[in-house]
Amino acid sequence: MDHRVSTLYNDLQLDALRELANIGAGNASTALSGMLGRPVDLTVPHARVIPMSEAVEALGAPEAEVTGIALGVHGDMPSTVLMLLSPVDAETLCALLGLEPGSEYAESALGEIGNVVGTSYLNALAGMTGIALEPTPPATATDMLGSLVQAVLATRAALSDEALLLDSCMTVEGEGCSIIFLLAPDHGGAGQLLGRLGVS
Amino acid sequence: MSDTMVRMGELAASKAAGASLVTLGLGSCIGLVLLDRRVGVAGLAHIVLPDSTGHDEVNPLKFADRAVPELLRRVVALGARKPLVEAVLVGGASMFAGIGGSMEVGARNEAAVLAALGGLRVRVNAAATGGSRGRTVRVDPGRGIVLVREAGGKDRQLHPPVAPAA
Repeated sequence: MDHRVSTLYNDLQLDALRELANIGAGNASTALSGMLGRPVDLTVPHARVIPMSEAVEALGAPEAEVTGIALGVHGDMPSTVLMLLSPVDAETLCALLGLEPGSEYAESALGEIGNVVGTSYLNALAGMTGIALEPTPPATATDMLGSLVQAVLATRAALSDEALLLDSCMTVEGEGCSIIFLLAPDHGGAGQLLGRLGVS
Repeated sequence: MSDTMVRMGELAASKAAGASLVTLGLGSCIGLVLLDRRVGVAGLAHIVLPDSTGHDEVNPLKFADRAVPELLRRVVALGARKPLVEAVLVGGASMFAGIGGSMEVGARNEAAVLAALGGLRVRVNAAATGGSRGRTVRVDPGRGIVLVREAGGKDRQLHPPVAPAA
């Protein structure tokens, strides 16, 4: 899937984006681990360019119920960070933080997890490339995977029929609970990032 | 018969009885159904954004102003009679309040679809739009029935209207 021929990015550029995603996600998983007091494993990230119409299916079953935590990103690379986890895993994470699942604090705790993880990821990217990235406060929703992903992609759909997705999966050791971490920049924005790395 | 999935920026029309047109998990997008129930023709468009102005390089059918007339053309080509075509709108929700973008996109999509339908003199017979929940829409051209489902819920008949239970 990573080898799809893209008209937008060449292999060198996708490799560079993958490496950035790797470092960003590494930083983010360290932050999550510190927050939960548990080791967190990280998969090798994907950097993929997918036709918009296939992007939802690339991430999972469209009608699967998931919890999503979204952060908007302003600055030199307008984009959206979306973290996706199953409702069961969301409860597990809340329990690890000592919170009653479903309580009014659970949602704000998830938002806070999203905030810490997302900000750590963005800080690593900003530190490496020198671009300015300012996250907005998190928003949380539990709904169909398709609805959440599509709402994030729709705001970026005017300029291209393809979506650039940088995604990683973080797993909390011993709990089997995992978070899909997704950064969806608009295309001009990823160009900025690549320019700073000298592979534009 | 297998269903036809209508994904982001796609549209489809059919008069095959029993083979539904389906869009799973609409968020801020609009699923627009056009149908002529008496001849058993229906179409479904998955509209992502309101306005194609200045975006000539990309798939035009993701935009309301281009998709609505094209969908009407496709159902009429299959035998729908234009004055009898009914419209049903599903979607246009705001999935993540407050992170900007997605909220207004849903409402703007709905407004743009309504404006395009008005310009073509197509009447809207039913809608399940707005709010903060995702929706799946399913239309069976043969039976002329439009079903809507929210996450974790059951299919509900949106069109034609069902008499409320006594």
